[in-house]
Amino acid sequence: MKEELLKIREVSKHFGGVYAVNGVSLGIRSGSIWGLVGPNGSGKTTLFDTILGLHRPDEGAIYFNSTCISHLAPHQIYALGLVSAFQIPRLFQGLSVLDNMLVAARGHQGDGFLNSLFLRGGWQRQEVEFADRAMEILELLELDRLALSPASELSGGQRKLLEIGRGLMASPTLLLLDEPAAGVNPNLGRRIFDGIENLRREEGLSFFIIEHRLELLFDFAHWVYVMDKGKIVVQGKPQDVARNPEFYQVYLGE
Amino acid sequence: MDPLVYVLDLIVFIGIFGIMSLSLNLEFGFAGLANFGKVAFFLVGAYTYAILSEIGVPFYFCLITGALISAMVGFLVSLPTLRLREDYLAIVILTFGEILRVVVKSERWIGGGVWGMAVSPAISIAGASARVGALVNIGLVYLCLVICFLVVQLLTNSPYGRVMRAIREDEIAAEVLGKDRAKYRAQVFALGSAIAGLAGGLYAQYIQFIDPYMFMPMVTFTVWIMVILGGPANNWGALLGAALVMLFDRGTTIAKDYLALAIDPINLQYILFGVLIILILLYRPQGLLRESKVKTKAIDRVGHERRATKNKGS
Repeated sequence: MKEELLKIREVSKHFGGVYAVNGVSLGIRSGSIWGLVGPNGSGKTTLFDTILGLHRPDEGAIYFNSTCISHLAPHQIYALGLVSAFQIPRLFQGLSVLDNMLVAARGHQGDGFLNSLFLRGGWQRQEVEFADRAMEILELLELDRLALSPASELSGGQRKLLEIGRGLMASPTLLLLDEPAAGVNPNLGRRIFDGIENLRREEGLSFFIIEHRLELLFDFAHWVYVMDKGKIVVQGKPQDVARNPEFYQVYLGE
Repeated sequence: MDPLVYVLDLIVFIGIFGIMSLSLNLEFGFAGLANFGKVAFFLVGAYTYAILSEIGVPFYFCLITGALISAMVGFLVSLPTLRLREDYLAIVILTFGEILRVVVKSERWIGGGVWGMAVSPAISIAGASARVGALVNIGLVYLCLVICFLVVQLLTNSPYGRVMRAIREDEIAAEVLGKDRAKYRAQVFALGSAIAGLAGGLYAQYIQFIDPYMFMPMVTFTVWIMVILGGPANNWGALLGAALVMLFDRGTTIAKDYLALAIDPINLQYILFGVLIILILLYRPQGLLRESKVKTKAIDRVGHERRATKNKGS
C-alpha cells in the first residue's frame, strides 16, 4: 500500500452557524485519480479552498506528505507541490497566455527581487526551459496558437483550459481540479481527462477532481468520495459507488 | 530673466518629476498599489538631504541616505496597509502624507518647521552663471534618472515584473500560484519610496530651500496625472507623461504673467489640470502609450517560433 499523499482528519469549516464542511476525513494516495462528487452546496469547493489554505479549518488537521498544512498560507502550500485550478477561471487578464503560464512555474529563480536584477543570465536560461514546457502544455490544450495573445481575448472554454494549464505548469505532486470538464464541449472534456490520465501514468502526478460529468469521472477515477451537507456519505471504487443506492438518493434526489 | 535658463529649468524639473513618475508607475502601473501619498516620500528624501547636507555630509551620501530612509519609511507604511484593499490603501497613505507634512511644519527642529531651511546645492562652482548651475543640475538629475529607469526597466521585464502584474490582476490567484503577495507589495513599496526619496533629495538641492508648503498633496496628484496621461505600466509612458505635464505646468506659469485674468492664475492651473484628467479618462483611459509587454529572452524566442510556423503555414 502506498503512502498517503494527502490526509484530511476530521476537518470542519463553518461560516456563522452553517457547517460547509463537517468533520470530513479522507486520504489520497499518490499516483492515482481521486474524484469528489456531490450536489451543489454540499461543501466540495469549500473543502478544496480549505485544503489550499484559502480558508483556515475551524477543526481538524490536513497533512500533505506528512507535513501539517492546515495553518500555512496558500503560497507555502503551493511551494510544497499542492496546486489547484479554480472552478471559475481567475486568469491574469492583462497578461498574455504564455505569461499566465510562466507565472505559475514553480521555483522560478527570477521571481525574487534581487535575482531578477542581478542573476539575469540564470533565470533567462531557466525560463527558456519553462517556456518550452509551457508551449507543450498549451499544445495539449490547443492554445499554442494564442500563446502571445492577452488572456482577456480567450473564449470561456479556452479560459477554463488555461486555468488547468496553469495548474499543470507548476509541476505539482497533487493537482486539485474543480470541474475541469464543465463548460467545454463533450469531446474536449474527454480529451482533458485523457490528458490527465497520461500525466498520471507518465509523470506520476496525482489528481483530486470535483466533476459533475460523472460518465467522465467514473471512467478515469480510481476512488470516488461522495459529499452531502458537508459530510462524506459514500466512498468507493467508481463501479461500486455507481451501484450504491445512497449515492443515487443524495445525488439524483430520488 | 534669461530665456535659456527657463528652458534649462524646465529640463531639470522634467528630470526630477520623471523620476517621481517612474516610481509611481512601478507601484501603481505595474503592481496596482494606489499610492496617494507619493509626496510623503518626496518629503522624506528632501528633508533628509537638507538636514544631512547642513552638517557637511557629501551630496551623494545625502542622496543615497535620503533614498534609504525613504525606502524604510515606505516599508514600514506598507506593513499595516498590506492587507487593505486598493481604495483603503489610497486613503490611509494620503492621510499619512498629510500627517507627516503637518508634523514637519510644527516641529521647528526638523528643517526649521514652518520657516523652512536653506539647502546648499549638490555641486557648487564658484562664480558660475545660472546657466552653468542649471546645466550641472541637468547632468546630476539625468544621471539619477537613467539609473532609476534602468532599474525599473530591468525589474519590470523579468519574472518579478510578471508577478507584479499578476498580483495587480488577481491577488488571490497569484497567492494560490505561490506568490507571497505581502512580500511583493512590501518590496515594491520600498523600492518605489526609495526612488521617490531620491527625487526629493535632488529637488531640495536644486531649489536650495525647503519648507512644508512645497509638499502639499497637489504634488502627489501631479505625479498621478503624469502616470495616467503617459500610460500606466509603461516606463516610457511615465517619462512622456512627466515631460508633458511639466511643460503644461511651466507653460501656464509663464503664460499667466502675460495674461490679465479675473481669477487667481494658480487656481486656473488647477482647473486646467482637472480638465486634463477628465479628458484623458474619457478619451484615452489607457494613457498615451499602451501597457508594455513583459520582454524576456524566452518570450522573444516563442514569438520567433510562432512567426516562423505562421509563415510556413501560409
